[in-house]
Amino acid sequence: MGRITLDQVQKKFGDVEVIPPLDLTIEDGEFVVFVGPSGCGKSTLLRLIAGLEDVSGGEIRIDGKPATDLPPAKRGLAMVFQSYALYPHMTVRKNITFPLKMAGMSEEEKKRRVDHAAEVLNLTDYLDRRPGQLSGGQRQRVAIGRAIVREPAAFLFDEPLSNLDAALRVGMRLEISELHERLATTMIYVTHDQVEAMTMADKIVVLRKGHIEQVGSPLELYRTPRNLFVAGFIGSPTMNLIDGDEAGNHEAQTIGIRPEHISVGDGPWQGTVGVSEHLGSDTFFHVHDTGLAETITVRAPGEVEHRAGDTIRLAPQMDKLHRFGSDGLRIA
Amino acid sequence: MATQHSRAAARIMIAPSVVLLLAWMLIPLGMTLYFSFLRYNLLMPGNNPFVGFENYAYFVTDPAFQAAIVNTLLLVGGILLITVVGGIGLAVLLDQPMWGTGIVRIMVISPFFVMPTVSALVWKNMFMNPVNGLFAYIADVLGMQPFDFLTQAPLASIIGIVSWQWLPFATLILLTAMQSLDSEQLEAAEMDGASAWSRFYHIKLPHLSRAITVVILIQTIFLLSIFAEILVTTNGGPGTASTNLTYLVYAESLLRFDVGTGSAGGVIAIILANIVAIFLMRMIGKNLDA
Ligand SMILES: Nc1ncnc2c1ncn2[C@@H]1O[C@H](COP(=O)(O)OP(=O)(O)O)[C@@H](O)[C@H]1O
Ligand SMILES: [Mg+2]
Repeated sequence: MGRITLDQVQKKFGDVEVIPPLDLTIEDGEFVVFVGPSGCGKSTLLRLIAGLEDVSGGEIRIDGKPATDLPPAKRGLAMVFQSYALYPHMTVRKNITFPLKMAGMSEEEKKRRVDHAAEVLNLTDYLDRRPGQLSGGQRQRVAIGRAIVREPAAFLFDEPLSNLDAALRVGMRLEISELHERLATTMIYVTHDQVEAMTMADKIVVLRKGHIEQVGSPLELYRTPRNLFVAGFIGSPTMNLIDGDEAGNHEAQTIGIRPEHISVGDGPWQGTVGVSEHLGSDTFFHVHDTGLAETITVRAPGEVEHRAGDTIRLAPQMDKLHRFGSDGLRIA
Repeated sequence: MATQHSRAAARIMIAPSVVLLLAWMLIPLGMTLYFSFLRYNLLMPGNNPFVGFENYAYFVTDPAFQAAIVNTLLLVGGILLITVVGGIGLAVLLDQPMWGTGIVRIMVISPFFVMPTVSALVWKNMFMNPVNGLFAYIADVLGMQPFDFLTQAPLASIIGIVSWQWLPFATLILLTAMQSLDSEQLEAAEMDGASAWSRFYHIKLPHLSRAITVVILIQTIFLLSIFAEILVTTNGGPGTASTNLTYLVYAESLLRFDVGTGSAGGVIAIILANIVAIFLMRMIGKNLDA
C-alpha cells in the first residue's frame, strides 16, 4: 500500500516560500512524475514527502495515517538520490543489505532479499565490488536495489537518470518502468526532462515556482494543456505559440499549434525555411518570416528536403489548435 | 613533461635544489654517524679515537635507555589516542550547524598557535602548580589535597599538555574531512533507518579513515621528538620518569658533553623512528590507497 496525500503542504526556507500551500493525492500503485524547470521546487517537494525536510505548514498522510511528524525511516518510503548516495567503503552487497541490517533483520532473510534484488537488477556478479568499481548504470541499479529490498510503500526518485549518458538513460528509463510494472508499488519520480515524464508516468504533476500548474495523464497534458506554461513545457519540439491578429481571428490572446500538427504543402501560412533538422524518421523545419511568430517549427514525417531560403506553405490542422486567453489559461 | 627532451631539461633544472637538499641532509647525518663511532667528550680533549660500537653499547645498556623507549612509546601512543578520539568528537560537534560556529572554531584552533615552551610553562605554573595552580585551587575549594601533577604523574601530565597542543590539529583535519562528506549519503542512511549512532559508525567514521591515518602519521613524526615540553616542565624527571629518547640524547650529549654517545643515541632514535614508521604504514597505510 502506498497512498500519499498532501494537504495544504507548504515549505519556506527562511522568508522564501519555495512551496506555497498545495494539495495533491498520489494513489496506491501509481507512477507519478513531478516535472518542471530547474529550481521550481520538485526536489523540495519530494524531500518533504520523504521527511528529509520539515513542512512549514500542512499535513502529509501516508495510507491515511498522519506522517507529517514521522522521521524518514518510519514513513516506509525508499529514496534513490541523484548522486546515488552509495556508501563508498561498503561492497555492493553491504550497500544493499544496509537498510535490512538497520532494521535488524535475520541473516537468512537479508541474504534472501539481497540475492533476489541482485538477480532482478542483474547485479549478481558485482556483489563483492565497491561502488567505485562500477559504471554509472550499475551504480544506479545498486541504488535501486538498496531501495527495493526494504519493500517500501513507495519509491521516491530524484532525477535518477541525470548523471547517465543518453543511451543508458533510455535503457534505465525502460528498466524503471518495468520495475514498476512488476512491483506495482507507488513511485514518485522527479525530473526536469519532459520526455522522461511523458514516457514513464501514469500521472504527471507539472510544477512551476512551487505551484502545481496541472495534474494529468501524459496524453491529457499533451491534448489539453491547462495554460500557456504547460503548453510550452510538454511536447518536443515545443508548441508554436502565436499572438496577434492570427490569434485574434480565433478569438484568443494566444493560439498554440504543435509542430506535428502543421503539414508542409498547400495551406494558409507561408514562410522561409531556416535551419532544418533531419532525424531520419522526422524532419524539423524552422520557418521564418511567416508574419505569425519569429519562428514556426514544423515537423514533417520522414525524409523531406527543403533548402534554407526556400519558401514553403504551411497547413495547420485547425482542430488541433489550442486557444489561450489573456490570463494565459486555456479557452475550452 | 612527456617528451625525452622536456624530461632531460626538467632534470637539469631541478638538479641544483636536489643537490642542495641532499647536502643539507646528508652532511649532518654523515657527521652524526661519524661522531657516533668516536670517543668524543668535550670535557676530555684528546685525539678522539675510533671506538667502533662502544658508544652504542653504552647508550643501549644505560638503564635510562629502556625507560626512555617505554616513555617515548607511551607519550606517542597516549597523545595519539587522546587527540584522535577527541578530534573526532570535536569534529562531529563542530560540524553541527549551531550559533557562533565561527568563533568556536577559532577558539578550538588557537592552542596550535601557542609556542610549545609557552604553553608548557603556562600549564606548569598556572594550572598544575600544587600551590598557585588553578587545579590546586579547585581541589582546595572542594576540600581535597592538591595533586602535584608534574611530580606524582609526570608522564601523564606531559601527555595532557601535548595533547592539548595537538588536539586542534587533529580537529582541524578531521573537521575538513567531515565537511567533505556528501550529505546525500547521510540522508540515504537516515532513510535506511540508521540511528544517529549508526550514521556515525557506518558512514562518518569510515569516511574519516583516511584523514585519521594522515593525522596519526603526521603527529607520530612530531611526537617522537617531543622535547621542549619536557625540558620546561619536568626536566625528564623525577628520575627518568618523563625522559623520552630525544630528551635522553640531549641529556647524554649536552649535559655530559659526550658528543659520541649523544650521536649514537641520535642514530638509534632515527632507526627507532623508522621502525615505528614501518609498523604504522603496515597497519594503516592501506587507508591511503585509492
Ligand atoms: N536548504 C535550502 N535552503 C534554502 N533554499 C533552498 C534550500 N533547498 C532548496 N532551496 C531553494 O528552493 C528552490 C527549489 O529548489 P529545488 O527543490 O532543489 O528545485 P528543483 O529540484 O526543482 O530543481 C530553489 O530556488 C532553491 O534555491
Ligand atoms: Mg532537484
